[in-house]
Amino acid sequence: MQNRNSYNKIEDFLSDESFQKWVKGNDDPLNWSEWTVENPYRAKLVEEARLWIIGMKVEQTPLTNQETQKALQKVWKKIGRSNEELPFRAIWHHTWFRTAAAVFVVGLATFLYYANLSSPQNTTITYQELVKSDLNGLIEQTNNSDKPQLITLSDASSVLLQPNSKLSYPKIFTGNERKVYLSGEGFFEISKDPNRAFYVYANETVTKVYGTSFRVIAYANQPNVEVLVRTGKVKVSSNQNIRNATLEEVMLLPNQAARFVRKEQLFEKILDITQDKPLLAATNTMEQLSFDFKDIPVHQIFKTLEQGYLITIDFPEDKLKECYLTTSLSDVPLPEKLKIICESLGSNSRYEMNGNYIKIISNGCK
Amino acid sequence: MTGEDRVKDCVQDVFVDIWTYRYKLNEAMVVKAYLLSSVRKRIARLHHREHIFSNIKNTDSLEFLFDFSIEDRLIADETTAKKVEQLNKSINKLSDRQKEAIYLRYHQGLTVDQVADVLNLNYQSTKNLLHRAILQLRRDFPISALFLLLNFSPN
Repeated sequence: MQNRNSYNKIEDFLSDESFQKWVKGNDDPLNWSEWTVENPYRAKLVEEARLWIIGMKVEQTPLTNQETQKALQKVWKKIGRSNEELPFRAIWHHTWFRTAAAVFVVGLATFLYYANLSSPQNTTITYQELVKSDLNGLIEQTNNSDKPQLITLSDASSVLLQPNSKLSYPKIFTGNERKVYLSGEGFFEISKDPNRAFYVYANETVTKVYGTSFRVIAYANQPNVEVLVRTGKVKVSSNQNIRNATLEEVMLLPNQAARFVRKEQLFEKILDITQDKPLLAATNTMEQLSFDFKDIPVHQIFKTLEQGYLITIDFPEDKLKECYLTTSLSDVPLPEKLKIICESLGSNSRYEMNGNYIKIISNGCK
Repeated sequence: MTGEDRVKDCVQDVFVDIWTYRYKLNEAMVVKAYLLSSVRKRIARLHHREHIFSNIKNTDSLEFLFDFSIEDRLIADETTAKKVEQLNKSINKLSDRQKEAIYLRYHQGLTVDQVADVLNLNYQSTKNLLHRAILQLRRDFPISALFLLLNFSPN
Protein backbone atom coordinates (compact mmCIF):
# COMPACT_ATOMS: atom_id res chain seq x y z
CA MET A 1 0.00 0.00 0.00
CA GLN A 2 0.96 3.51 -0.84
CA ASN A 3 2.15 5.79 1.92
CA ARG A 4 -0.78 7.88 3.07
CA ASN A 5 1.31 11.01 2.99
CA SER A 6 1.23 10.87 -0.78
CA TYR A 7 -2.56 10.48 -0.97
CA ASN A 8 -3.94 13.19 -3.23
CA LYS A 9 -7.16 11.74 -4.61
CA ILE A 10 -10.36 10.59 -3.03
CA GLU A 11 -9.75 7.15 -4.49
CA ASP A 12 -6.62 6.79 -2.44
CA PHE A 13 -8.63 7.13 0.74
CA LEU A 14 -11.51 5.04 -0.48
CA SER A 15 -9.30 2.03 -0.96
CA ASP A 16 -7.60 2.34 2.38
CA GLU A 17 -9.19 -0.07 4.76
CA SER A 18 -7.95 1.52 7.95
CA PHE A 19 -9.24 4.90 6.76
CA GLN A 20 -12.66 3.38 6.15
CA LYS A 21 -12.66 1.86 9.57
CA TRP A 22 -11.78 5.16 11.14
CA VAL A 23 -14.56 6.97 9.25
CA LYS A 24 -17.04 4.38 10.37
CA GLY A 25 -16.00 5.10 13.91
CA ASN A 26 -14.64 1.72 14.82
CA ASP A 27 -11.06 2.21 15.80
CA ASP A 28 -8.18 4.38 14.83
CA PRO A 29 -4.87 2.65 15.48
CA LEU A 30 -3.10 4.70 12.81
CA ASN A 31 -4.35 7.90 14.34
CA TRP A 32 -6.08 9.30 11.27
CA SER A 33 -7.63 12.13 13.28
CA GLU A 34 -4.26 13.58 14.13
CA TRP A 35 -2.83 12.94 10.65
CA THR A 36 -5.77 14.78 9.09
CA VAL A 37 -5.29 18.03 10.89
CA GLU A 38 -1.59 18.18 10.11
CA ASN A 39 -2.29 19.83 6.77
CA PRO A 40 -5.32 21.97 5.69
CA TYR A 41 -5.36 20.66 2.10
CA ARG A 42 -5.29 17.15 3.45
CA ALA A 43 -8.17 17.97 5.79
CA LYS A 44 -10.34 18.99 2.88
CA LEU A 45 -9.60 15.80 0.98
CA VAL A 46 -10.27 13.73 4.05
CA GLU A 47 -13.59 15.44 4.66
CA GLU A 48 -14.57 14.80 1.07
CA ALA A 49 -13.52 11.17 1.19
CA ARG A 50 -15.46 10.80 4.41
CA LEU A 51 -18.64 11.97 2.70
CA TRP A 52 -18.10 9.51 -0.10
CA ILE A 53 -17.74 6.66 2.30
CA ILE A 54 -20.85 7.71 4.16
CA GLY A 55 -22.74 7.95 0.87
CA MET A 56 -21.77 4.58 -0.49
CA LYS A 57 -22.55 2.26 2.32
CA VAL A 58 -23.25 -1.35 1.56
CA GLU A 59 -25.86 -2.96 3.74
CA GLN A 60 -24.61 -6.03 5.44
CA THR A 61 -26.83 -8.30 7.42
CA PRO A 62 -24.66 -9.67 10.14
CA LEU A 63 -24.61 -13.44 10.28
CA THR A 64 -25.35 -15.16 13.52
CA ASN A 65 -23.13 -17.96 14.62
CA GLN A 66 -26.08 -20.30 14.21
CA GLU A 67 -26.55 -19.34 10.56
CA THR A 68 -22.90 -19.89 9.85
CA GLN A 69 -23.03 -23.31 11.44
CA LYS A 70 -26.10 -24.24 9.46
CA ALA A 71 -24.48 -23.18 6.19
CA LEU A 72 -21.36 -25.13 7.03
CA GLN A 73 -23.40 -28.21 7.74
CA LYS A 74 -25.11 -27.96 4.41
CA VAL A 75 -21.77 -27.67 2.66
CA TRP A 76 -20.44 -30.79 4.36
CA LYS A 77 -23.60 -32.65 3.49
CA LYS A 78 -23.19 -31.71 -0.13
CA ILE A 79 -19.55 -32.76 -0.06
CA GLY A 80 -20.60 -36.11 1.33
CA ARG A 81 -23.12 -36.55 -1.45
CA SER A 82 -20.69 -35.51 -4.15
CA ASN A 83 -18.11 -37.95 -2.77
CA GLU A 84 -20.53 -40.81 -3.24
CA GLU A 85 -21.22 -39.89 -6.82
CA LEU A 86 -17.72 -38.70 -7.42
CA PRO A 87 -16.65 -41.08 -10.17
CA PHE A 88 -19.59 -40.08 -12.28
CA ARG A 89 -20.24 -36.53 -11.24
CA ALA A 90 -16.65 -35.47 -11.17
CA ILE A 91 -16.15 -36.35 -14.79
CA TRP A 92 -19.28 -34.45 -15.74
CA HIS A 93 -18.06 -31.43 -13.87
CA HIS A 94 -14.93 -31.17 -15.94
CA THR A 95 -15.15 -28.65 -18.71
CA TRP A 96 -12.78 -30.73 -20.81
CA PHE A 97 -15.06 -33.70 -20.52
CA ARG A 98 -18.05 -31.70 -21.60
CA THR A 99 -16.09 -30.22 -24.46
CA ALA A 100 -14.86 -33.64 -25.50
CA ALA A 101 -18.36 -35.05 -25.27
CA ALA A 102 -19.73 -32.19 -27.34
CA VAL A 103 -17.03 -32.58 -29.95
CA PHE A 104 -17.67 -36.31 -30.04
CA VAL A 105 -21.39 -35.90 -30.50
CA VAL A 106 -21.01 -33.27 -33.20
CA GLY A 107 -18.35 -35.36 -34.89
CA LEU A 108 -20.51 -38.46 -34.78
CA ALA A 109 -23.45 -36.57 -36.21
CA THR A 110 -21.32 -35.15 -38.99
CA PHE A 111 -19.86 -38.56 -39.72
CA LEU A 112 -23.27 -40.18 -39.86
CA TYR A 113 -24.55 -37.43 -42.09
CA TYR A 114 -21.75 -37.84 -44.57
CA ALA A 115 -21.70 -41.61 -44.27
CA ASN A 116 -25.35 -41.49 -45.13
CA LEU A 117 -24.65 -39.25 -48.07
CA SER A 118 -21.99 -41.46 -49.52
CA SER A 119 -23.78 -44.71 -48.89
CA PRO A 120 -24.71 -46.34 -52.18
CA GLN A 121 -28.45 -45.97 -51.90
CA ASN A 122 -28.25 -42.22 -51.81
CA THR A 123 -25.59 -41.30 -54.25
CA THR A 124 -25.71 -43.93 -56.88
CA ILE A 125 -28.57 -43.95 -59.28
CA THR A 126 -29.50 -47.18 -60.90
CA TYR A 127 -30.83 -47.73 -64.35
CA GLN A 128 -34.01 -49.17 -62.80
CA GLU A 129 -34.65 -46.01 -60.83
CA LEU A 130 -34.12 -43.87 -63.88
CA VAL A 131 -36.42 -45.90 -66.05
CA LYS A 132 -39.06 -46.04 -63.35
CA SER A 133 -39.04 -42.27 -63.01
CA ASP A 134 -39.78 -41.76 -66.68
CA LEU A 135 -43.52 -41.70 -67.07
CA ASN A 136 -43.57 -42.21 -70.81
CA GLY A 137 -44.00 -45.75 -72.00
CA LEU A 138 -40.51 -46.95 -72.73
CA ILE A 139 -39.20 -49.71 -74.92
CA GLU A 140 -36.33 -51.62 -73.45
CA GLN A 141 -33.71 -53.29 -75.58
CA THR A 142 -31.32 -55.66 -73.91
CA ASN A 143 -28.32 -57.00 -75.71
CA ASN A 144 -27.66 -60.47 -74.35
CA SER A 145 -25.69 -61.55 -77.40
CA ASP A 146 -21.96 -61.37 -77.76
CA LYS A 147 -22.06 -58.81 -80.53
CA PRO A 148 -23.03 -55.16 -80.58
CA GLN A 149 -26.62 -54.54 -81.49
CA LEU A 150 -27.86 -51.65 -83.57
CA ILE A 151 -30.88 -49.72 -82.39
CA THR A 152 -32.50 -47.06 -84.48
CA LEU A 153 -34.58 -44.48 -82.67
CA SER A 154 -37.65 -42.67 -83.91
CA ASP A 155 -35.63 -39.53 -84.67
CA ALA A 156 -33.28 -41.51 -86.93
CA SER A 157 -30.56 -41.54 -84.31
CA SER A 158 -28.68 -44.78 -83.99
CA VAL A 159 -27.27 -46.52 -81.00
CA LEU A 160 -24.84 -49.36 -81.16
CA LEU A 161 -25.56 -51.24 -77.97
CA GLN A 162 -22.73 -53.37 -76.63
CA PRO A 163 -23.24 -56.84 -75.14
CA ASN A 164 -24.64 -56.95 -71.60
CA SER A 165 -26.16 -53.53 -72.02
CA LYS A 166 -29.64 -52.15 -71.90
CA LEU A 167 -31.25 -49.15 -73.48
CA SER A 168 -34.68 -47.76 -72.69
CA TYR A 169 -36.26 -45.24 -75.03
CA PRO A 170 -39.73 -44.11 -76.01
CA LYS A 171 -41.21 -45.51 -79.16
CA ILE A 172 -41.64 -42.00 -80.43
CA PHE A 173 -39.94 -38.96 -78.97
CA THR A 174 -42.52 -36.38 -77.96
CA GLY A 175 -42.16 -32.88 -76.64
CA ASN A 176 -38.96 -30.90 -77.02
CA GLU A 177 -36.66 -33.36 -75.35
CA ARG A 178 -35.28 -36.70 -76.38
CA LYS A 179 -34.43 -38.86 -73.41
CA VAL A 180 -32.96 -42.33 -73.33
CA TYR A 181 -31.61 -44.44 -70.49
CA LEU A 182 -28.54 -46.57 -70.71
CA SER A 183 -27.08 -49.29 -68.61
CA GLY A 184 -23.84 -50.63 -69.97
CA GLU A 185 -22.20 -49.30 -73.07
CA GLY A 186 -23.42 -47.75 -76.24
CA PHE A 187 -22.16 -45.73 -79.13
CA PHE A 188 -24.59 -42.97 -79.91
CA GLU A 189 -25.02 -41.14 -83.17
CA ILE A 190 -27.65 -38.53 -82.72
CA SER A 191 -29.48 -36.89 -85.56
CA LYS A 192 -29.19 -33.13 -85.54
CA ASP A 193 -32.12 -31.25 -84.11
CA PRO A 194 -31.23 -27.93 -82.52
CA ASN A 195 -34.74 -27.60 -81.08
CA ARG A 196 -34.75 -30.91 -79.29
CA ALA A 197 -31.84 -31.74 -77.08
CA PHE A 198 -30.95 -35.39 -76.74
CA TYR A 199 -30.20 -36.71 -73.26
CA VAL A 200 -28.55 -39.94 -72.29
CA TYR A 201 -29.15 -40.78 -68.65
CA ALA A 202 -26.55 -43.24 -67.49
CA ASN A 203 -26.07 -43.93 -63.78
CA GLU A 204 -25.32 -40.60 -62.15
CA THR A 205 -24.55 -38.74 -65.33
CA VAL A 206 -26.55 -36.95 -67.92
CA THR A 207 -25.10 -36.36 -71.36
CA LYS A 208 -26.73 -33.62 -73.37
CA VAL A 209 -26.24 -33.17 -77.06
CA TYR A 210 -28.04 -31.74 -80.05
CA GLY A 211 -26.49 -33.89 -82.71
CA THR A 212 -23.18 -35.66 -82.44
CA SER A 213 -21.66 -39.05 -81.97
CA PHE A 214 -20.23 -40.30 -78.73
CA ARG A 215 -19.81 -43.38 -76.62
CA VAL A 216 -21.22 -43.79 -73.15
CA ILE A 217 -19.89 -46.48 -70.86
CA ALA A 218 -21.98 -46.87 -67.74
CA TYR A 219 -22.07 -50.36 -66.31
CA ALA A 220 -23.94 -50.61 -63.04
CA ASN A 221 -21.18 -52.55 -61.34
CA GLN A 222 -18.28 -50.37 -62.40
CA PRO A 223 -16.75 -47.50 -60.48
CA ASN A 224 -16.77 -44.97 -63.29
CA VAL A 225 -19.04 -43.63 -65.95
CA GLU A 226 -17.26 -42.60 -69.12
CA VAL A 227 -18.35 -40.46 -72.02
CA LEU A 228 -16.14 -40.34 -75.10
CA VAL A 229 -16.82 -37.90 -77.87
CA ARG A 230 -16.34 -38.78 -81.47
CA THR A 231 -17.81 -35.76 -83.20
CA GLY A 232 -19.52 -32.54 -82.26
CA LYS A 233 -20.01 -31.02 -78.85
CA VAL A 234 -21.26 -32.84 -75.80
CA LYS A 235 -22.20 -31.59 -72.36
CA VAL A 236 -21.95 -34.03 -69.50
CA SER A 237 -23.29 -33.27 -66.07
CA SER A 238 -24.15 -35.08 -62.90
CA ASN A 239 -27.75 -36.06 -62.41
CA GLN A 240 -29.45 -33.40 -60.30
CA ASN A 241 -31.27 -36.05 -58.33
CA ILE A 242 -28.11 -36.91 -56.49
CA ARG A 243 -28.24 -35.41 -53.06
CA ASN A 244 -25.45 -32.94 -52.39
CA ALA A 245 -24.56 -33.01 -56.04
CA THR A 246 -22.46 -30.03 -56.80
CA LEU A 247 -23.96 -29.57 -60.17
CA GLU A 248 -20.94 -30.18 -62.30
CA GLU A 249 -20.73 -29.81 -66.00
CA VAL A 250 -18.09 -30.82 -68.44
CA MET A 251 -18.04 -29.63 -72.02
CA LEU A 252 -16.42 -32.08 -74.39
CA LEU A 253 -15.13 -31.73 -77.90
CA PRO A 254 -14.11 -34.50 -80.32
CA ASN A 255 -11.53 -36.88 -78.90
CA GLN A 256 -12.14 -35.65 -75.41
CA ALA A 257 -13.74 -37.68 -72.68
CA ALA A 258 -15.19 -37.32 -69.22
CA ARG A 259 -14.80 -39.83 -66.49
CA PHE A 260 -17.22 -39.62 -63.60
CA VAL A 261 -15.83 -41.25 -60.49
CA ARG A 262 -19.00 -42.50 -58.85
CA LYS A 263 -17.63 -42.88 -55.36
CA GLU A 264 -16.36 -39.34 -55.19
CA GLN A 265 -19.04 -37.83 -57.37
CA LEU A 266 -16.43 -36.04 -59.38
CA PHE A 267 -15.73 -35.53 -63.03
CA GLU A 268 -12.37 -35.97 -64.57
CA LYS A 269 -11.89 -34.49 -67.99
CA ILE A 270 -9.60 -36.24 -70.44
CA LEU A 271 -8.39 -33.92 -73.14
CA ASP A 272 -7.02 -36.57 -75.43
CA ILE A 273 -8.54 -40.02 -75.52
CA THR A 274 -5.45 -41.48 -77.19
CA GLN A 275 -3.38 -40.54 -74.14
CA ASP A 276 -5.62 -42.47 -71.77
CA LYS A 277 -5.02 -46.20 -71.96
CA PRO A 278 -8.28 -47.52 -70.45
CA LEU A 279 -10.31 -45.22 -72.64
CA LEU A 280 -8.34 -46.04 -75.73
CA ALA A 281 -9.00 -49.69 -75.09
CA ALA A 282 -12.71 -48.95 -74.85
CA THR A 283 -12.87 -47.42 -78.28
CA ASN A 284 -13.34 -49.88 -81.01
CA THR A 285 -13.69 -49.98 -84.74
CA MET A 286 -16.38 -47.33 -84.59
CA GLU A 287 -13.99 -44.67 -83.41
CA GLN A 288 -11.13 -45.96 -85.48
CA LEU A 289 -12.90 -46.08 -88.78
CA SER A 290 -13.07 -43.02 -90.93
CA PHE A 291 -16.36 -42.19 -92.54
CA ASP A 292 -14.83 -39.52 -94.70
CA PHE A 293 -14.83 -40.91 -98.19
CA LYS A 294 -13.04 -39.46 -101.16
CA ASP A 295 -13.82 -41.02 -104.52
CA ILE A 296 -14.37 -44.41 -102.97
CA PRO A 297 -16.34 -47.29 -104.59
CA VAL A 298 -19.75 -47.63 -102.92
CA HIS A 299 -19.26 -51.30 -102.10
CA GLN A 300 -16.22 -50.33 -100.07
CA ILE A 301 -18.21 -47.70 -98.22
CA PHE A 302 -20.82 -50.34 -97.39
CA LYS A 303 -18.05 -52.62 -96.15
CA THR A 304 -16.83 -49.89 -93.83
CA LEU A 305 -20.33 -49.41 -92.49
CA GLU A 306 -20.68 -53.16 -91.97
CA GLN A 307 -17.47 -53.17 -90.00
CA GLY A 308 -18.36 -50.19 -87.91
CA TYR A 309 -21.95 -51.01 -87.07
CA LEU A 310 -21.64 -54.77 -87.25
CA ILE A 311 -24.49 -54.94 -89.67
CA THR A 312 -25.14 -56.76 -92.87
CA ILE A 313 -25.77 -54.66 -95.92
CA ASP A 314 -27.35 -56.38 -98.87
CA PHE A 315 -26.90 -54.40 -102.08
CA PRO A 316 -27.05 -55.12 -105.82
CA GLU A 317 -23.31 -55.50 -106.44
CA ASP A 318 -23.53 -55.50 -110.21
CA LYS A 319 -25.52 -52.35 -110.47
CA LEU A 320 -23.30 -50.39 -108.08
CA LYS A 321 -19.98 -51.63 -109.45
CA GLU A 322 -19.03 -48.42 -111.14
CA CYS A 323 -20.30 -46.07 -108.47
CA TYR A 324 -17.79 -43.88 -106.64
CA LEU A 325 -18.62 -41.39 -103.89
CA THR A 326 -16.99 -38.48 -102.17
CA THR A 327 -18.76 -37.70 -98.93
CA SER A 328 -18.27 -37.11 -95.24
CA LEU A 329 -20.49 -39.30 -93.13
CA SER A 330 -18.71 -39.14 -89.80
CA ASP A 331 -21.04 -36.78 -87.99
CA VAL A 332 -24.36 -38.42 -88.80
CA PRO A 333 -26.16 -41.50 -87.52
CA LEU A 334 -26.42 -44.65 -89.59
CA PRO A 335 -29.88 -44.00 -91.10
CA GLU A 336 -28.63 -40.60 -92.20
CA LYS A 337 -25.52 -42.16 -93.67
CA LEU A 338 -27.61 -44.61 -95.67
CA LYS A 339 -29.94 -41.88 -96.76
CA ILE A 340 -27.07 -39.69 -97.96
CA ILE A 341 -25.55 -42.60 -99.87
CA CYS A 342 -28.86 -43.49 -101.50
CA GLU A 343 -29.51 -39.88 -102.49
CA SER A 344 -26.07 -39.69 -104.04
CA LEU A 345 -26.67 -42.86 -105.98
CA GLY A 346 -29.77 -41.59 -107.65
CA SER A 347 -33.44 -40.85 -107.23
CA ASN A 348 -34.55 -44.44 -107.41
CA SER A 349 -32.24 -45.65 -104.65
CA ARG A 350 -33.52 -46.30 -101.15
CA TYR A 351 -32.78 -48.51 -98.17
CA GLU A 352 -34.73 -50.81 -95.92
CA MET A 353 -33.62 -51.43 -92.41
CA ASN A 354 -34.56 -54.39 -90.29
CA GLY A 355 -32.51 -54.61 -87.17
CA ASN A 356 -28.96 -55.46 -88.16
CA TYR A 357 -29.95 -56.22 -91.68
CA ILE A 358 -30.04 -53.48 -94.27
CA LYS A 359 -31.19 -53.84 -97.81
CA ILE A 360 -30.24 -51.33 -100.48
CA ILE A 361 -32.58 -51.07 -103.40
CA SER A 362 -31.01 -49.32 -106.34
CA ASN A 363 -30.81 -49.31 -110.08
CA GLY A 364 -27.28 -48.03 -110.16
CA CYS A 365 -25.80 -44.56 -110.17
CA LYS A 366 -26.87 -43.29 -113.46
CA MET B 1 -36.73 -21.72 -3.84
CA THR B 2 -36.32 -18.04 -3.19
CA GLY B 3 -33.56 -16.00 -4.73
CA GLU B 4 -31.80 -15.83 -1.40
CA ASP B 5 -31.86 -19.60 -1.01
CA ARG B 6 -30.48 -20.05 -4.49
CA VAL B 7 -27.63 -17.67 -3.81
CA LYS B 8 -26.89 -19.54 -0.60
CA ASP B 9 -26.88 -22.72 -2.66
CA CYS B 10 -24.36 -21.17 -5.02
CA VAL B 11 -22.12 -20.17 -2.13
CA GLN B 12 -22.28 -23.68 -0.71
CA ASP B 13 -21.49 -25.17 -4.11
CA VAL B 14 -18.41 -22.99 -4.34
CA PHE B 15 -17.14 -24.45 -1.09
CA VAL B 16 -17.99 -27.95 -2.25
CA ASP B 17 -15.94 -27.32 -5.38
CA ILE B 18 -13.06 -26.03 -3.33
CA TRP B 19 -13.15 -29.20 -1.29
CA THR B 20 -13.42 -31.42 -4.34
CA TYR B 21 -10.52 -29.75 -6.12
CA ARG B 22 -8.53 -28.90 -3.03
CA TYR B 23 -5.38 -30.56 -4.38
CA LYS B 24 -5.55 -28.79 -7.68
CA LEU B 25 -6.12 -25.26 -6.47
CA ASN B 26 -3.53 -22.62 -7.16
CA GLU B 27 -1.78 -21.83 -3.92
CA ALA B 28 -0.96 -18.30 -4.98
CA MET B 29 -4.58 -17.27 -5.24
CA VAL B 30 -6.06 -14.46 -3.21
CA VAL B 31 -8.77 -16.09 -1.14
CA LYS B 32 -11.21 -13.23 -1.10
CA ALA B 33 -10.95 -12.53 -4.83
CA TYR B 34 -11.23 -16.22 -5.61
CA LEU B 35 -14.36 -16.65 -3.53
CA LEU B 36 -16.03 -13.56 -4.92
CA SER B 37 -15.21 -14.56 -8.44
CA SER B 38 -16.36 -18.17 -7.94
CA VAL B 39 -19.68 -17.19 -6.42
CA ARG B 40 -20.21 -14.66 -9.14
CA LYS B 41 -19.54 -17.27 -11.84
CA ARG B 42 -21.85 -19.73 -10.13
CA ILE B 43 -24.69 -17.23 -10.01
CA ALA B 44 -24.07 -16.26 -13.60
CA ARG B 45 -24.21 -19.90 -14.67
CA LEU B 46 -27.42 -20.51 -12.73
CA HIS B 47 -28.88 -17.35 -14.16
CA HIS B 48 -27.90 -18.38 -17.67
CA ARG B 49 -29.35 -21.85 -17.23
CA GLU B 50 -32.63 -20.47 -15.92
CA HIS B 51 -32.81 -18.14 -18.86
CA ILE B 52 -32.42 -21.08 -21.20
CA PHE B 53 -35.10 -23.08 -19.45
CA SER B 54 -37.57 -20.26 -19.09
CA ASN B 55 -36.85 -19.37 -22.70
CA ILE B 56 -36.32 -15.71 -21.96
CA LYS B 57 -34.58 -14.02 -24.84
CA ASN B 58 -32.70 -11.44 -22.84
CA THR B 59 -29.57 -13.12 -21.56
CA ASP B 60 -27.67 -9.95 -20.84
CA SER B 61 -24.78 -10.53 -18.55
CA LEU B 62 -25.53 -10.70 -14.90
CA GLU B 63 -26.85 -7.49 -13.45
CA PHE B 64 -25.38 -6.19 -10.26
CA LEU B 65 -28.57 -5.41 -8.46
CA PHE B 66 -28.01 -3.46 -5.34
CA ASP B 67 -27.95 0.12 -4.21
CA PHE B 68 -25.46 1.82 -2.05
CA SER B 69 -27.06 3.24 1.07
CA ILE B 70 -26.14 5.98 3.49
CA GLU B 71 -24.37 5.58 6.77
CA ASP B 72 -26.92 7.65 8.65
CA ARG B 73 -25.40 7.37 12.06
CA LEU B 74 -22.33 9.28 10.92
CA ILE B 75 -24.25 12.32 9.79
CA ALA B 76 -24.23 15.06 12.32
CA ASP B 77 -25.80 18.00 10.51
CA GLU B 78 -28.21 18.79 7.72
CA THR B 79 -25.63 20.18 5.30
CA THR B 80 -23.73 16.93 5.39
CA ALA B 81 -26.95 14.98 5.03
CA LYS B 82 -27.85 16.87 1.85
CA LYS B 83 -24.44 16.43 0.33
CA VAL B 84 -24.31 12.76 1.16
CA GLU B 85 -27.77 12.18 -0.20
CA GLN B 86 -26.86 13.81 -3.48
CA LEU B 87 -23.68 11.79 -3.74
CA ASN B 88 -25.54 8.60 -2.94
CA LYS B 89 -28.03 9.32 -5.72
CA SER B 90 -25.21 9.85 -8.18
CA ILE B 91 -23.52 6.64 -7.17
CA ASN B 92 -26.67 4.65 -7.62
CA LYS B 93 -27.10 6.15 -11.06
CA LEU B 94 -23.86 4.60 -12.23
CA SER B 95 -24.00 1.57 -14.47
CA ASP B 96 -24.30 -1.85 -12.83
CA ARG B 97 -20.81 -2.70 -13.90
CA GLN B 98 -19.37 0.48 -12.46
CA LYS B 99 -21.19 -0.11 -9.20
CA GLU B 100 -19.88 -3.64 -9.06
CA ALA B 101 -16.35 -2.48 -9.74
CA ILE B 102 -16.62 0.14 -7.02
CA TYR B 103 -18.01 -2.42 -4.64
CA LEU B 104 -15.21 -4.84 -5.29
CA ARG B 105 -12.51 -2.21 -5.22
CA TYR B 106 -13.56 -0.09 -2.25
CA HIS B 107 -15.69 -2.39 -0.17
CA GLN B 108 -14.00 -5.71 -0.68
CA GLY B 109 -10.63 -4.00 -0.96
CA LEU B 110 -9.58 -5.90 -4.06
CA THR B 111 -6.75 -4.56 -6.18
CA VAL B 112 -7.55 -3.39 -9.69
CA ASP B 113 -6.00 -6.62 -10.95
CA GLN B 114 -8.29 -8.72 -8.82
CA VAL B 115 -11.35 -6.70 -9.77
CA ALA B 116 -10.41 -7.25 -13.41
CA ASP B 117 -10.24 -10.96 -12.73
CA VAL B 118 -13.61 -11.11 -11.07
CA LEU B 119 -15.30 -9.02 -13.74
CA ASN B 120 -13.56 -10.91 -16.49
CA LEU B 121 -12.06 -7.75 -17.94
CA ASN B 122 -8.49 -6.76 -18.63
CA TYR B 123 -6.57 -4.50 -16.32
CA GLN B 124 -6.84 -1.36 -18.42
CA SER B 125 -10.60 -1.68 -18.99
CA THR B 126 -11.13 -2.13 -15.27
CA LYS B 127 -8.99 0.87 -14.49
CA ASN B 128 -10.94 2.94 -16.99
CA LEU B 129 -14.23 1.66 -15.63
CA LEU B 130 -13.35 2.77 -12.11
CA HIS B 131 -11.80 6.02 -13.22
CA ARG B 132 -14.84 7.00 -15.24
CA ALA B 133 -17.14 6.17 -12.35
CA ILE B 134 -15.23 8.46 -10.00
CA LEU B 135 -15.00 11.14 -12.66
CA GLN B 136 -18.73 11.11 -13.14
CA LEU B 137 -19.37 11.36 -9.43
CA ARG B 138 -17.05 14.34 -9.24
CA ARG B 139 -18.85 16.03 -12.10
CA ASP B 140 -22.23 15.40 -10.52
CA PHE B 141 -21.08 16.51 -7.18
CA PRO B 142 -18.11 18.88 -7.07
CA ILE B 143 -17.65 18.73 -3.35
CA SER B 144 -14.14 20.14 -3.44
CA ALA B 145 -15.33 23.34 -5.02
CA LEU B 146 -18.06 23.62 -2.43
CA PHE B 147 -15.63 23.09 0.33
CA LEU B 148 -13.30 25.69 -1.03
CA LEU B 149 -16.12 28.24 -1.09
CA LEU B 150 -17.18 27.42 2.42
CA ASN B 151 -13.66 27.68 3.69
CA PHE B 152 -13.06 31.09 2.18
CA SER B 153 -16.27 32.62 3.34
CA PRO B 154 -15.75 34.58 6.56
CA ASN B 155 -17.14 32.35 9.17
